[in-house]
Amino acid sequence: MCGSSIRETSASITVLNNWHDISYRFVLMKISRQWLQRYFEKPLPGVAALSDASTFHAFEVESTDGELLDLKVLPDRAGYALSHRGVAKEFSAILSIPLKRDPLRESVAPWPATDRLAIKTDSGYVLRHTGALVTGVKVGPSPAWLRELLESVGQRSINNIVDATNFVMLDIGQPMHAFDSGKIAWSEGILKIDIRKAKNGETITVLSGEKYTLSDSMYVIADGTSGELLDIAGLKGGLASGITEETTDLFISCGNYDGTLIRKMSQALKLSTDASQRYQNRPSPELTAYGMREILALLKEVAGGEVAGVVDIYNTKRPMKSVSVTAQKISEVLGSDYSDNDIVGALKRLDLSFEKKGGEFVVTPPFERSDITIPEDLVEEVGRIIGYDRVKPAELPVLSAVPFTRHRALIEAVRELMVAEGYNEVSTYSMVENGDVELTSPLADDKKYLRTGLTLGHEKAIALNSTNLPLFDVPDLRMFEVGHVWPQGKEKFVLGVTYWVSGKGAEEKISAELKRMREKLEAVVGKKVGALESPNTIQFDMHDLTDTNATPAFTQTQEKLSSFRPFSVFPFVLRDIAVWTPDGTAADRVRDVIRSNAGELLHRCDMFDTFSKDGKISYAFRLVFQSMERTLSDDEVNVHMKTVTDALNEKEGWKVR
Amino acid sequence: MKNVSGNTSNGVRAGRFHPHTVALREIAGIFGRMGFEIAGGPELEDEFYNFTALNVPPDHPARDMQDTFWIQGMPGKVLRTHTTSVTLHSLERMAKEGIPSMRALNPGKVFRNEATDMTHEAQFYQIDGFAAGPPGTVTLAHLKGTFDRFYREYLGPAAKVRFRPSFFPFTEPSVEIDVWFEPAGKEGRWLEMSGAGMLHPRVFENAGLDPKKVQGFAFGGGLERLMMIKYAIPDVRLFHSGDLRFNYGFEQLA
Repeated sequence: MCGSSIRETSASITVLNNWHDISYRFVLMKISRQWLQRYFEKPLPGVAALSDASTFHAFEVESTDGELLDLKVLPDRAGYALSHRGVAKEFSAILSIPLKRDPLRESVAPWPATDRLAIKTDSGYVLRHTGALVTGVKVGPSPAWLRELLESVGQRSINNIVDATNFVMLDIGQPMHAFDSGKIAWSEGILKIDIRKAKNGETITVLSGEKYTLSDSMYVIADGTSGELLDIAGLKGGLASGITEETTDLFISCGNYDGTLIRKMSQALKLSTDASQRYQNRPSPELTAYGMREILALLKEVAGGEVAGVVDIYNTKRPMKSVSVTAQKISEVLGSDYSDNDIVGALKRLDLSFEKKGGEFVVTPPFERSDITIPEDLVEEVGRIIGYDRVKPAELPVLSAVPFTRHRALIEAVRELMVAEGYNEVSTYSMVENGDVELTSPLADDKKYLRTGLTLGHEKAIALNSTNLPLFDVPDLRMFEVGHVWPQGKEKFVLGVTYWVSGKGAEEKISAELKRMREKLEAVVGKKVGALESPNTIQFDMHDLTDTNATPAFTQTQEKLSSFRPFSVFPFVLRDIAVWTPDGTAADRVRDVIRSNAGELLHRCDMFDTFSKDGKISYAFRLVFQSMERTLSDDEVNVHMKTVTDALNEKEGWKVR
Repeated sequence: MKNVSGNTSNGVRAGRFHPHTVALREIAGIFGRMGFEIAGGPELEDEFYNFTALNVPPDHPARDMQDTFWIQGMPGKVLRTHTTSVTLHSLERMAKEGIPSMRALNPGKVFRNEATDMTHEAQFYQIDGFAAGPPGTVTLAHLKGTFDRFYREYLGPAAKVRFRPSFFPFTEPSVEIDVWFEPAGKEGRWLEMSGAGMLHPRVFENAGLDPKKVQGFAFGGGLERLMMIKYAIPDVRLFHSGDLRFNYGFEQLA
């Protein structure tokens, strides 16, 4: 197999939503409108209309390009929909247009038996394997229609044999592989095939030329006579038995393998193929027979030859059970009224056969729809085919609840206190460089452990913020954080309070401030819970406050924020300026003169001192200059300061000190 | 714009809440008026609550090491990948205490084993929640109504929602919630905001409830994503940087 018309993806499309991470192992699959049209008499609507139909009733559309749709098929539907037939079936239901032909509804006629093919399978891995011998084929280029269809989904044409197998997989979803049976050793006229566990260290060179070393948790198709490996079963065919221009006889392998084991093999080998991705999504083992019928017919058409016989080994059948649902159930779950007629219409469009027993619709899903197992699955089928526009928004009935329990209210009250005391709330990383709880696969060396407390994060935050204080016009650094920590491996919910100041007597100031905050906080929570964690940080256990009698004073207040204004990452430059002004001059007048003369690089202008003397008022301002684009030079700032100084001195009775 | 947080009684300039707190209070307020309480749970969670009880198959790729943080020497413990785990604890409480109806919002920190960039973080917050009650009392239509109201109150009166079919192991049917958002002075557009759906019967069973007697919806979406849209925040890494320039990057409005 070459190229790849489908690829497995996860997450990333929707940032920051773990519901998507956990479920969104979608497969991106290229679907050509031209190919789909083969399934319908009636002309299909254009790609834009198909895209809408898919988005609101079946699959999200990643992108469209000309006649091509790139569909995101989610795991629940990937067992049946990773094919043009599967998608045609969806459009047939959504657009209510019948299929011209449905290959999965035409029963498979018995094949000729053969004693020239003997297949052994490991039933722990192989759910079903249908194998065939075909003789006398002529390898050559594919007919134009086949080349064009493959190219329409971005696949490169190789030759008629390989193209035919790719076509059938993309058409009905059954992966398969054609081997040159002339390159396999035979035992006394019998082609022996062994689908078995690999041995540790066995190697195989695959069609694309890469060599893989296998382990005994992997499975292979081996030549039962020579023991040579022919194929990494379910993943990729081997180079040695590949089709060449000289090939005349074929061994065709249509398997169905364990989805979990395939996924593990694919991961271990870092090899993901169109086939492995389909198998991972567990298509029905019934499908191998349909795949074999389609490929044998197509080979006859494009390469001639005779079918010598087919060997079908069916280890694990997947029984289909009927599922029942009522109109009442559907209406009750979706919150909109659905009549029996609505339901009959949706089931018919979906080609789900059903019997009506009393009020119940008893649905027997077709073999490929193994996703339908509970009534809720039918609720979804009816809901999505009719469309969720039918569901009108309804208000929940009134239910009294207390949004903030006493514990939560207490925490919010603590936050209020902290902010009132000048503290800024931060959030630091839960994963740090050391601790008691170690992650098995950390992102980085400095994120190997869960934090035992908030100190480590706050030390980093001090380093980051302490030089930026003039940007906030504060003389000291006050921070707090509410979060989970894991001291001695036990999860705790704590409040961390950090104070930092520099200069003379800093140590005394810090310990006095932390003592003051400790008393304030213990008064709010009603018990002694604080402990000094580092010279700059005290930590409060907020986990269990049930034994306190504190009644939180917190009532829901609502702050509002503007849009975010990105901050500069370049250093700022500080300048202080003081000016004498006549008695009665307002501070704002001085500020206005500074602001209108300091230029666009003035980031802040804060008054830090004022006093009156001899009928004059002195104002002192601190100016912060900063650029969004570059580091400022002293000379440049000096020019602006000169303009400011001159402007201030020009005022009647003003004098820069 | 004027900075309204002036000096407090003790002569100190008031500090700034983390923007999460501001957003969560507003969101909790809106959901609170619709009868949702706030629920919480451990960040280091049992595999049962994070995956198994939520109907995530044992061999599901989400359980792989490269997606999820597991702990050395503590098998079965996982840094929660979503706060839907908290819903399980609440459903268990319904079962144990015989509570017929419950609604809860589970805001909280979640983790993902992923390299970080402007739109990806290894730790972030989720706005997750559920409503449950006797059959017919909490429906997909109520989910739509709840989010219609939430987004109108949170993002503005022009907001509206639409559903698209989706898949999550713990809901059936499952939908994507898109919201129509019109930022001030800009053209409106549809944004994919949240996964949601009707809680899967097996989830109720796993919590000890009889799925014939209870029905409900659940939802989960990223808080940072919502805030990045509402406040035009360019880089998700700012949220957990500990950098006060982030707090001060917003004006506090009256």
